[in-house]
Amino acid sequence: MRLTFTAGAFPLIILLMTGCKPNATDRINNAASITSISRLPENPLEMTPMAVSLQPKAKTMSTLYGNSIAAKRLRDGAYYAAGSVLYLVTWKGKADPDWFGAHIPDRVTAIERISFDQNGQKSYTFFKGPGWDPALDLKKNERLIIILSIPIAKSP
Amino acid sequence: MKLKFKIILGILSLVLLAQLIRPEELSSVKTQPVKGLAGVPEEVAKVLETSCFDCHSSQTSWRWFDRLTPANFLVASHIRDGRKALDFSQWDSLASPQRNAMLYFALNGMLSKEMPLSSYTALHPAAKLDQKDIDLIRNYLLNNAVSKPASIESNSMGAEKPSIMEVKKTPNGIAYLPNYRNWKAISTTERFDNGTIRIIFGNPIAVEAIHEGKTNPFPDGTIFAKTAWKQQQGKDGSVYAGQFVQVEFMIKDVKRYAGTKGWGWARWKGENLLPYGKTVKFDSECISCHRPERDNDYVFTRPLDIRDLNKK
Ligand code: HEC
Ligand code: HEC
Repeated sequence: MRLTFTAGAFPLIILLMTGCKPNATDRINNAASITSISRLPENPLEMTPMAVSLQPKAKTMSTLYGNSIAAKRLRDGAYYAAGSVLYLVTWKGKADPDWFGAHIPDRVTAIERISFDQNGQKSYTFFKGPGWDPALDLKKNERLIIILSIPIAKSP
Repeated sequence: MKLKFKIILGILSLVLLAQLIRPEELSSVKTQPVKGLAGVPEEVAKVLETSCFDCHSSQTSWRWFDRLTPANFLVASHIRDGRKALDFSQWDSLASPQRNAMLYFALNGMLSKEMPLSSYTALHPAAKLDQKDIDLIRNYLLNNAVSKPASIESNSMGAEKPSIMEVKKTPNGIAYLPNYRNWKAISTTERFDNGTIRIIFGNPIAVEAIHEGKTNPFPDGTIFAKTAWKQQQGKDGSVYAGQFVQVEFMIKDVKRYAGTKGWGWARWKGENLLPYGKTVKFDSECISCHRPERDNDYVFTRPLDIRDLNKK
């Protein structure tokens, strides 16, 4: 009697244990992390996030990053000074698997870099991301104006 | 034989006696029927009524087997905890954005397969949900409760920052952390359920833990900050961060915050950074919504791996 009980209980316990959700091992958003784009002079993700935007038509989302000179704008609102480096990283958006009601970044479509030299001269560089969509036609002159006029995400 | 009989008789009388001990809820709370959920289609309300109201409203129907001690204690605790997390009885007193937030919360409970509790559906099979029920609610929300960005005209940006202000502690005793804007962005989210756009910041300990894969659990000292802004329609068709809504923190300290899953929870709202929460235990609201992530140290965000490209 006792033996059959113990013998019966064991598989049950093991079943319960294995029935539990396995610990999700990899929760890192690797697809959206910048790891494989060569020629990038610096990793924009290491810089200070300054603004965010959504492009509903293209279903993309972007974050504007700045180096420490550019990031001064967060505090004093002044225009980008000489030596500023800005990056606009754009991702394809995807549904958040953990929350119906949210979109999170998927693969990078494009990375755009604007730098201000010591004389305040701007230069623009474009890097194609693994999620690049050829239908998006980014024209250099337009992009400069758009990126430089993105409103900063202000917080008190 | 005789002994066996006595034992059975003993157990039986114990079970009968036990019936005298009953949870308060069974006698004291009269179940009040909740009027149908105003403003939503009948089919949507029906799904929630049959599958959720027993534990998430004042309209509970106890079956005979639910009333037996000790089952009734379990049922009573389900109702107590369930109503703390989500209470449809409050529906009539809520404005429509809060009603929608409640429905999104409910739908996410269903999608995470947590709800309705499986111990409950085993005995109340009618409450089981099928894909049709879930799609019904999902489609209702997508067609009726997707927030639109504020129009360009209502732009209230450019307001001068109030100079040095004193920010009060939250009711659970957490002091404001002003430096999070220097931290790195571990993710961004667009929330179409409440029309916001968000940056999730990680302090240096968080960023390093993510890079090294030490995220479950996150080490002591990890801090996340999440800011939300209202979505603002731009002239070029893009949507930008408009009015600042709030900043929230999760601060990891296993010992200090042992009572709240190892995290200190804090939220400050609006330009004036008013601390959120009425009582010390306001954070049970945070924990209850983050609970589906309990196997991931209560963290929703799937973070970016931020690495130094020069170091291979
Ligand atoms: C048998 C009782 C019971 C039923 C039926 C039930 N719930 Fe719950 N629910 C609970 C309890 C208990 C909690 C609190 C869990 C905790 O905090 O430990 C809860 C928590 C929740 C939460 C908070 C997040 C979470 O997962 O903990 C949501 C959302 C929720 N329920 C939604 C629903 C929806 C939607 C339904 C119907 C489809 C439903 N529940 C049916 C008992 C129930
Ligand atoms: C209705 C559900 C809900 C409630 C209530 C809630 N959160 Fe969250 N929280 C989320 C979701 C979903 C995310 C994922 C990011 C996003 O999309 O906003 C999140 C993310 C966070 C993050 C970023 C780290 C992470 O877990 O991803 C912090 C910090 C945070 N919440 C703090 C809080 C605090 C503090 C409270 C209570 C005052 C709270 N939350 C209440 C749903 C909730």
